[in-house]
This record gives sequence, C-alpha cells and structure tokens, in this order.
Amino acid sequence: MGSFRHPGVGFLPFGLCIVLILFSLALIVSRWKKGTSVPFWSRRTWLRPLLGVVLLGLYALVIETLGFPLTTLAFLLVWMGVIERIHWLKMISVSLGVTLVLYLIFGVFLEVPVPMGFFKG
Amino acid sequence: MSDILGMFQGLFSGFGIALTLTNLSFALLGALLGTVVGILPGLGPSATIALLLPLSFKIGSPVTSIIMMAGIFYGAMYGGSTTSILVNIPGEAASVVTCIDGYQMALKGRAGPALGVAAIGSFIAGTVGIIGLTFIAPPLAEFAIQFGPPEYFALTLLGLMMATLLAGTSILKGLIMVVLGLLLGAVGLDPISGEVRFTWGLLMLQEGVDFVTLAMGLFGIGEILYNLERELSAELVTNKVSHLWPTLNDWAESKWAIVRGSLIGFFIGILPGGGAVISSLVSYGIEKKVSKHPEEFGKGAIQGVAGPESANNSAASASFIPLLTLGIPGNAAIAMIFAALLIQGVQPGPFLISERPDVFWGVVASMYVGNAMLLILNLPLVGIWVQLLRVPYAILAPVIVLFCCIGVYSIRNTVFDIWVMGVFGVIGYLFRKVNLEPGPLILAFVMGPILERALRQALLISAGSPLIFFKRPIAGSLMGFLLLFLLIQIIVTLRKKWRVRSTLSGA
Repeated sequence: MGSFRHPGVGFLPFGLCIVLILFSLALIVSRWKKGTSVPFWSRRTWLRPLLGVVLLGLYALVIETLGFPLTTLAFLLVWMGVIERIHWLKMISVSLGVTLVLYLIFGVFLEVPVPMGFFKG
Repeated sequence: MSDILGMFQGLFSGFGIALTLTNLSFALLGALLGTVVGILPGLGPSATIALLLPLSFKIGSPVTSIIMMAGIFYGAMYGGSTTSILVNIPGEAASVVTCIDGYQMALKGRAGPALGVAAIGSFIAGTVGIIGLTFIAPPLAEFAIQFGPPEYFALTLLGLMMATLLAGTSILKGLIMVVLGLLLGAVGLDPISGEVRFTWGLLMLQEGVDFVTLAMGLFGIGEILYNLERELSAELVTNKVSHLWPTLNDWAESKWAIVRGSLIGFFIGILPGGGAVISSLVSYGIEKKVSKHPEEFGKGAIQGVAGPESANNSAASASFIPLLTLGIPGNAAIAMIFAALLIQGVQPGPFLISERPDVFWGVVASMYVGNAMLLILNLPLVGIWVQLLRVPYAILAPVIVLFCCIGVYSIRNTVFDIWVMGVFGVIGYLFRKVNLEPGPLILAFVMGPILERALRQALLISAGSPLIFFKRPIAGSLMGFLLLFLLIQIIVTLRKKWRVRSTLSGA
C-alpha cells in the first residue's frame, strides 16, 4: 500500500474505499432521517426487466454451442413473444428479418467471427 | 498566443480532409444516426456511441470514426427536440425543457414553427460553438503544454468535482458514483508498478474492466431494462407538420433567445461537467427571467423552444474543447469519444493539435459540414423522421440488446464479456431505480488512471509533500478555484437548509 510519502499500489484504492464507506453511511443516515419509503417495485414491474436479464443470460450461455443465427432467432422470438406479446405473424417475420440483417452487418460486412454452430462450413 | 494565420491554414487543410468522399459519408451517417437516436426516446447519444465503439476498430482511420461519433452527438441535439415537441416525451436528456413550451405550441397547431425554430436555432448555435472551438482550442492547448503532474491532478479533480456537483440532483449520490468509477478504473494492472489489483485471480480481469463493456452495460442494457418497466408508447399530436419556416414575427421573438442560448451553451459547454443538459436548463431559466411576458412560458412561448435548443447545440460543440486540448472529457458522451480516440491510438491532450493536426482539424471542419447537413435533414425532411416514432419499442429493445451482445463479443471474441456486460446492465438498471446518475461514474472511470498517475507522480516529485499542489502557480490557482467552488456549494446548501428550518418554525 505504501505511505503518503511513498504511495504504493493500494494507496488510492484504499483511500477511495474509506471515502466510499463514509459517503454511503452519510446517504443512509440522510435517507433514514427523511423516513419516507416508496416501494421499490410497484406491483409486478420487476417481471419484465427480470425476463430480459434471464434471456440475455441464456443467450450468452448457448450462443457458442447453438451458433449465432439460431440463438439470435430464438432470442428475438422469445423476447417479442413472452415479454412483449405482439402478433405472431409480425413476430416471426420481424425476427427472421432482423436475424438476417444482423448476420449481414456483423458476420459478412464487419467480418466478426461469430460462432456459427450447426451452420458451420 | 498562436497565430491566427496558422489556425486558418489548419482549418483549410481540415476541410481538405473532411470533404473526402469517405469522411463526408461517415459525417452524413453520423448525422443520420444522431437524428434517429435523438428522436427515439429511450436511446441517447451516449448509449449509441458506446454501441458503435466496437465498430471503430473496423473503421481504421481515427479521423473518420471520430467524425462519425461527433456527428451522432450533435445530431442527437437536433433530433431530440422533434419528440419533445410532437410527443411530449424528451427524445434525449438535453431536450427535457423543450417539452414544456414545444408541446404546448404543437397543441395549438404551431408544431411547424416550433420544429423550424428549433432546427434553425440549433444550426446557428452549433456553428457559433464550432467557431469558438476553432479559435479557442489551439491557444488553450499551447497553454496546457506546460502542465505537469500536479497541474493535471488539480485539473482532473476540479473536472470530476464540477461534473458531479453540476450534473446531479444529489451531491452525495454524485460523489458516490465518482468513487465507484475510480475504483472500477483501478481494476487490473497498476499504471506505475505493474502489479495486479482487484482481479480475484481472474485472468480476464487483468487488462482491467473494458470501457466498451462497461459503457454498453450501464448505458445500453441498463436503459433497456429500465424502459421495460414502463410502456413507452408515442402518441403524435399531429401527423401533418406545415409552416416550418418561422414567420417574421416568430423570428423577431426568438432571435435574441437564439443568441443568448448560443453564448450560454458555449460557456457552460466548455466547463468540465457542463454540457448540453445543464445548458438547456439554464437557458430556459434565463429566457423566462428576461422575457417581458414570463406568464406565457409553459403555454407555448417560442423563446422557450429557441433558447434551450440553441444552448444544447452550442454546448455540444463547445464540450469538444476540454477533450481535444486538455484530454479531459466533460460529460458521458464525450467520455465515449475519448475512449474511441484511445482505441485508435490517439492520445487526447495538449499535444493532439500539434501531433495529429489531421484528427483535430479534420473533425472540426467536419462539424461545420455536419451542421449544414443536419439543417437540411431536420427542416425539409422532418416528416420522414417523425414516422420513426411508429417503430414499437417491442421491436427496438431486443435489437439493441443483440447489438450490444455481438458488439461486446466482437472485441475479444469471448462470451465472458457478454456476462460482464449483463452484470453491468443489471447494475445500471438498479442505479436508475434509485436515481443514481451513471454519467459521473463513467467520467471517473475514464479519468481515474489520469488522476492516479498524476497524483502519484506529483508526490514522487515532491517527496511526499502535498504542498506541491498549492505552491505551483497554475496548480495552486486550480486548487484554489476548487476550494472556492466547494465552499460556495456548502454555503448554498446550508442556507437552503436554514431557510427551510426558519419557514418551518415560522409556520
């Protein structure tokens, strides 16, 4: 960590942590004094963000095994079908279109080595 | 004082760079993208530039990629007003106050003049800002060349403090975000000794937290998750927009508002922590104060549109000054451009103009061109952009998430980064839930390494004596200014508390 005269690796981070603890305590105290509490999530508003995060996690989990095109298509279908519930015909056509466009932009135009899964070769 | 002739020569060569076909098309692309994200609520310029950071690896030339990103930033200032006026939802943060009078004008059937005066005001103010940038940046950079570590420490500290105090609603929350940002910036190899910090043994973290991953998570994913809670539906006041060109009467009423807005925006834009959002708020307040009919504000006063919309554009141009001359970004969107320059191997700072004149003058010249493009895009073609508001968020949201995922993946070709981005996304969402602004965090993250290196180098020079920050004239005056600024803030806060208490006891 070092001393003030010879600051080392941990010098700034240690100081910052102490400052952070002090600020956080001050914030907690000031909140506590006001004493008003609003519910963090009103009714079921947490559901849609949670579904979004879960979908993102699943996407990262399977993209290397299933490949980019299939995972992306599934992601779009599930997102629009489960989170947004839009009309199935629109959902399928938009999903197919977006997957194709994203593949063209990243895979072909920008030459990102996206994992291809079953579509290899 | 560097000579005026040199500046004209620089500008001239800059136009030579900006007017090549590639750079013109990327300036147009940036202006188009900026207009689009400005119009679409729930996607701001910071998030968009973050989204495009991985692309800047592919573009190759630093001039071209910065031209595009700058275009997105000032283009969004044009687009934002459209949504504010027609839908009463700010298209992006700097157009919040435009909702107040712009929407009222639209309700009274004066959407056309409101949009027109916003676009013309934006163009005039944007150009004023760039003229200021052209002639103030070179002498400022020359002056900053003599800065050593103590000066840099004082300057970054001042910048960070002003950014938190000016930007946020709560000073304490802003400071917490700054400290968090500094800590995140410390992950990885220590800049001076090369030792490893905060990696929990994870090899992937040794290079530090990647800026793109952090920015995309906090701004991209975080914003999407937050918007998922609410139904964002845009209802247009009117489908037909006519009489875009303001009448002589409108013009007479708004011309001084545009002039005042341009100047206010410029001076606030230069300040670290200033920028488009605050300048539009200040301009609205001033217009209301100087107006002979303040009672018209809130009921469709054209000055309430002209002033703020001008101010945010000249602030957007002016905020390039601290970035390109001192290497210090003043707001989140500029921090993204800072990162893009670093990705391209260009070090923003006092040596930028002399070492990479092509980057500086090319970008500055392209901004003149870009503003002219935006005037055309936003006046006759505004009807086309309005149709964009019909694209439902249900389709937009998953597409943006996918863009973030593939963008982050493309940097190092690892799924690990998608996970990290997801984690920052959740954090960004929770920040928004508890009213913590992610802006100061990203600024602190970018400035952290500069601040730490300057602090430790300065203390090494002075053999540990902190007096080094006060003895040298420039560092000393900066620190003095910082202390004065803090003192004023404390007095203002105390006076407010005292007033509340006295009214409470009086009642």
